[in-house]
This record gives sequence, C-alpha cells and structure tokens, in this order.
Amino acid sequence: MTEQAGEAMTPLIDNAASRPPAGTLRRRARPQSRWWTVWLFLLPALLLFLYFKFIPMFAGIQMSFQKVRPFLGNEWVGWSNYTAVLNDSRFHDAIVHTLILGFGQSIGAVIGGLVLALLLEGASKTLWFVRTAAFLPVVTATAVIGEVWRIIYFPAPNGFLNSVLGTVGLDPVRWLEDPAVALYSVMAVGIWQGAPYNMVIFLAGLAGVDRSLYEASAIDGAKLRHRLWYVTLPALRPAMTIVLVLAAVRSLRVFTDVWVLTGGGPAGATDVWMTRIYSLGFERNQMGIASAASILLLIASVALTALALLITRKRAEK
Amino acid sequence: MFKNPNKAGSAFRGVAFLAAALCSSTAIAQDALEVWSRSGPQAAETYKAVFAAFTEKTGIPVEYLATVEFETQLQARAAAKDLPDVLIYDQASMAAYANAGMILPVVPEDFAGHDQLSEASWDSVRMADGAYYGVPFSQHAQVTFIRSDWREKLGFEVPTTHDELVALATAFATQDPDGNGTDADTYGMAVPGTTDRGFFTWWLSSYMMQRGGSFVTGGEGKYTVTVNSPESVAAVEWIQSLFCGTPSLVQPGALTNASATPFFAENHAGIYQTGPYAFANFDKAPGKDKYEIVIAPAGPGGKTTLTERTSIYFGATSTQPDNQKALAEFLISPEAQALGMTAPGQPVVRLPVNTTLNAAEIYGDERWAVVAEQLEDSKLMPSDVDFTTARLDIAETFQSMFSQCTSDIQGNLDGLAGRISDELSMQNALQ
Repeated sequence: MTEQAGEAMTPLIDNAASRPPAGTLRRRARPQSRWWTVWLFLLPALLLFLYFKFIPMFAGIQMSFQKVRPFLGNEWVGWSNYTAVLNDSRFHDAIVHTLILGFGQSIGAVIGGLVLALLLEGASKTLWFVRTAAFLPVVTATAVIGEVWRIIYFPAPNGFLNSVLGTVGLDPVRWLEDPAVALYSVMAVGIWQGAPYNMVIFLAGLAGVDRSLYEASAIDGAKLRHRLWYVTLPALRPAMTIVLVLAAVRSLRVFTDVWVLTGGGPAGATDVWMTRIYSLGFERNQMGIASAASILLLIASVALTALALLITRKRAEK
Repeated sequence: MFKNPNKAGSAFRGVAFLAAALCSSTAIAQDALEVWSRSGPQAAETYKAVFAAFTEKTGIPVEYLATVEFETQLQARAAAKDLPDVLIYDQASMAAYANAGMILPVVPEDFAGHDQLSEASWDSVRMADGAYYGVPFSQHAQVTFIRSDWREKLGFEVPTTHDELVALATAFATQDPDGNGTDADTYGMAVPGTTDRGFFTWWLSSYMMQRGGSFVTGGEGKYTVTVNSPESVAAVEWIQSLFCGTPSLVQPGALTNASATPFFAENHAGIYQTGPYAFANFDKAPGKDKYEIVIAPAGPGGKTTLTERTSIYFGATSTQPDNQKALAEFLISPEAQALGMTAPGQPVVRLPVNTTLNAAEIYGDERWAVVAEQLEDSKLMPSDVDFTTARLDIAETFQSMFSQCTSDIQGNLDGLAGRISDELSMQNALQ
C-alpha cells in the first residue's frame, strides 16, 4: 500500500521542486494539486498505520520494560525482561534453530528456485501451465500447507512419505516426531513453499539474459555447465541479491510454518524465535518478557536489513 | 484522483465517519448482564437456553459471548478495565485470575441453595488464602473410552488392571481389530500429547496417579514437588513404555497432534482417556453402539483419574453485584443444572454440582452413572495456586522425554522438579 502511494507521490514532489518534468510526469501532475492533496490521500493509510502499527510498536517497547499486568496496572522493571531473555537457554536454542532454519531454507529455496527457473524458462503454453502449477504453493495459505504436509509426513509406516520410502526398502522416519529430524522436515516444507517465489524472480532475470551470449559461448565450445556458470549466473546477480536479502529478512520471523507443523515441538526441537515469543506471551502470560524478545527480534531484523542493503549498495557501486 | 477538492473533502469525511463508527461499535448496552464462557458453537446453544430461562425467571437480560479464544479476549478487556460481569470457565484458571485481581471473592453462605452443593465442590473454589473466588457449576472425571466392538471381536474382557489395558492396547495395535486386512492402520491408545495450554498434563495426571506417582502433593495452598520421587519415576517409566515400546501403543504423531479425538472417532485408535464431553462427538462417529465407558483400569496406585470442573466467576469491574449473584444462584439451582445437562446442544453441566440431582436419571443414560462413580475416585489438579506455568513445564518436559525415548528419566524429572519448585516458591506456595 505504502509502496504504491509512494510511487504516486514521487512525481508530484519532483514537480514541486520544479525540476524539468518529463512528458509522462506532466500529464500526472495537475496544476490544481497542492501539497496537502498528497497528504490527504495518504491520510487514511497513515491513520491505519498509526493505529495498527506504530502505536502498538511503541506500546511493545514500553511493555518490554514492564511486568505486564493488564488489570492491576503494569510495573516498571527496567532491563530485567531483557536479561531474562538473554539468559534463557531455551531462547539460545530457539535462536540457533532460527538460524539453521533460516539459512537452510534460504539456500534451499534459492537453489530450488534457480533449478525451477532454468527448467521452466520459455514461452510455450505447456510451460506456462507448469509454471502456474509450480507457483501454487506460494499462494496457498500456510495453515493449509501445514495440514497437507502433516498428512504427507504421517509417521506410521503407511504414512504417505513413509510408504514411498518403504517401496525402496527404507525404514519409516518419524518426520515431525523425532527431535533429530523435525527441524529438517520443517525446512523442507519451507523450501517447497519458498522456491517457486524465487523462481518467478529468476525467470524475470533470465528473460533479460542476452541470447547471443549463449550462442557465442556455444560456438566457443562451452559445455552446459560452463554456460550456466559463466553466462547465466553472472547475469542473474541482481536477481540473486534481491532473493537473498528477502530470504534473510524473512527467515528471522519464521512462525506460521513451524506453528502449524509442530508448534515448536517435539522437545523444543523446532522452537524458533517467534514460537518462543508466542509461547511466553500468550501461553505463559509473560507479556513483558515476550515484548523484550520481540524488540530484540526487531533490532536484529533492522540490523540484518541494513547490512544487506549495505552489501547491495557496495556491489552496485563496483 | 478527485478533480474537485470538495470530493476529496467528502471522501475524508467518509473516512472520519467510518473511523467513528468503528470506535463506537465497542460500546455495549449497560443494563444487560454480560456473561462469557469458553465454548464452541454446540455448547453455546445450551448456554443460551439456560440464560433464556434465567431472563424469563428474573427479568434480567443476559448478553452472552461464547468464545474459544477466551483468554486472549479477556486480556484485552482486562487492559480496558471493563471485564464481563460473569465468567464461566475452567477451574484451572481461577488462581491466575484471582491473583490478577480480575475476579471477586464470594461468600458461599450468601448464595441461596449453597447447601445443596457438596463440600468438595466448595473446597475446589477456595484459594490459598482461604477466600472463595468462584461458584461451582459443573464437574466430572475423566473416564476410559474403549471400542467395545473391537474388544469383543478380539475376544477380550473389559480391562480392570493396567496389565489388561496394555494387553488390549497391544491387541488393537497388532491384530487388525477393524478387520480391513491391514494391521498397521489401527493403534492402541489415542493420546492428546500436545503441549498447547499444557494439555498433555491433564491426560498424564490420571496415569501418574494410577501408577502411584504425582506431580505435587499437598493442599491448602502449600505443595511439595514429588514429580521426581522414586514412585513418580517408576510411573513415568511405565507411561514412557506406552510411547516407546514395541509396538508403540499410542497413535503415530501423538506428541504433535493438535487433537487425539479424530483417531478415536475415525476408527484408528481403540482406547481413549478423556472427559465425558466427548460423548456428543463419539455418538456420531464411531457411533454410540461401538464404544463403552469404563472405570479406569487400576494400576499399582489405584484407579484415580483427573477431576475437571467448571466454575462461575464474578468480574471485578461489574456494576451489577445483585444480578451477578442472582445468575449464580440460578445456575446452581436444580432447574438450571438440569437444563445445562439436557438443553439441545452439548451438556455444559456434565455432572451436576447440585447434590439433589441424579445425572444418570436426568440424562436417561447409564454411562453418566459410570462418570459419577469415577468422580468419587478422582482428583483435581491444584487450583488454589496458579499452576499454569507448572502445567506447561510438565507437558513440555514429558513431551521431550517421550519424543526422545530418553534413558535419563530421573535427570529430566529432577530438572522439572527444580522448575516447578521455583515457580511455586515465587507464589509462596512451596511447603
């Protein structure tokens, strides 16, 4: 919503700064528009944002320094919520799980997306159909995906995936039940869901690769893997950056997949940062500590985004 | 975009009006008594019938909200310092709400008909400081559900001991009781092993008691942690063998399933220990004639199961103390108790707290006599101290042990005992 509003706003501001407008800009910026018209149109969105985003966010910061008692009134406790989070071994485990899950899912989804994009690139009608089918996991509700995968992962020998394993003579696996396996089962679902999204970005990138480069390299005797490595991948670098930045930021706040698949169990083996926060806040009613953990997550996300932007910008400058 | 600024202005007024409408929608009629219960749609129908009878009798209108997101919604109302007038909720939450100042103390003798409630009922709503914070409304004990058709087909008697229970569960898991030619699609026991709201702890507590173990012992607000005592360790070893033995006697995914009910309902598991509220579901599937209700098979510690209770609480911000009292008096009266059992929907009074009533007669269903008999040999989890955190810790620790089939039960239980002790001592509830 903001992005669209932002796009609409830019030409108007440019006009106000009396830069020589291009032809398209002149058509959009009408003479009667005044500075406040812009804000008037933004106002509904801003009000909603203020009420549903910014005020709750500041309340969250405030609560992170309080012992939250909704009825009796909150008590100021200083930094003790933060020390409680930082000294909690289950939070340490959750952070490790978040990092493993985030790293694995991001890399897996990038590789998966790339493979899908390379396989499904082209203009034919059949490919269009297959691409749409491949994209379906992205637009399906995560809760539904969770239930479907719970059926696929059913841990009995006659469970879907286990019976597939059985046909090649492998023992059944307790996919979501075995603490040593559960995190990787969750990761696989995340990759399955995330790869098609990356595929679309890569497809857009692939469309921009100059065909003559392929022909030239083929004439020079480059094999398929050489072409991939020296032509396709360098051309995809901008797309790759976008995909990795998005994945890194998204991975920190992973919640829904884990919650619907395992609820953080078994034995806390799939407990991630967000499930820990949820459990503390809504199951144990320790809203203050949960808020402190949320603020730490916010700081980590902002830091990671800033880092990613910095790296992207440095690359672009080169 | 609007060409004419006036149009933009009217759009703005429209937004302002919408915002005002949204804000004003939270205002509610002040004269009706606002009552909340944690109920699904079926139970809500029954409550509505009960409240309709109340309004007819007293002329006091009731504004009723049934929600399954009870706690979250209540926190929001607590923050707004505008609590519902009356809350009907699980006994287990009383201490937390009382400690938070959200519900008011009551004096049992003030209620007309208080002497028709048993002493045990009134004891259950007494907090550690000796004050009463609720009015009992419904009670029951967990009972054992068994697929009688499967049991008879395999030629087993109704189990009366844990050994017989295990033999039956093993047969269900291995001898194809549904006769579809596949051994691997039926399981012995349906187990609700989810840690959500500490649910697993409810199920565990019955078997712990039957094996002679316990989580804590004591009462009157002072408890000793006994979850790592030798008896408890032995009890946990036995329960773990249900999960980790060969064959496993519980349904696959027991520890991460959100609910075990479908496994019993859909012909996959033959034994399920749960509350009689499940009758409504199981009468539809697998079918009323296909299962039986039995007293828990006895272990070395007896056949005790968990008592579950529902109580009536008074919101602290209410301006209608007389109406609160009138509703509570009505709800414990024989008339309302019977209505809560039989009105269309789902029984919200499982077994009446009013001792003048006979449940099996009112229901016309002998299964309730079994529940009443089991109630005599059942025990409530501590509810005079806030046991929520301990309950979650227990559920998580047991889930952790059983999912790994740990060999270090003692070590795990020692750790758990430490955490429960810390929690209880914070409430000054450690003996």
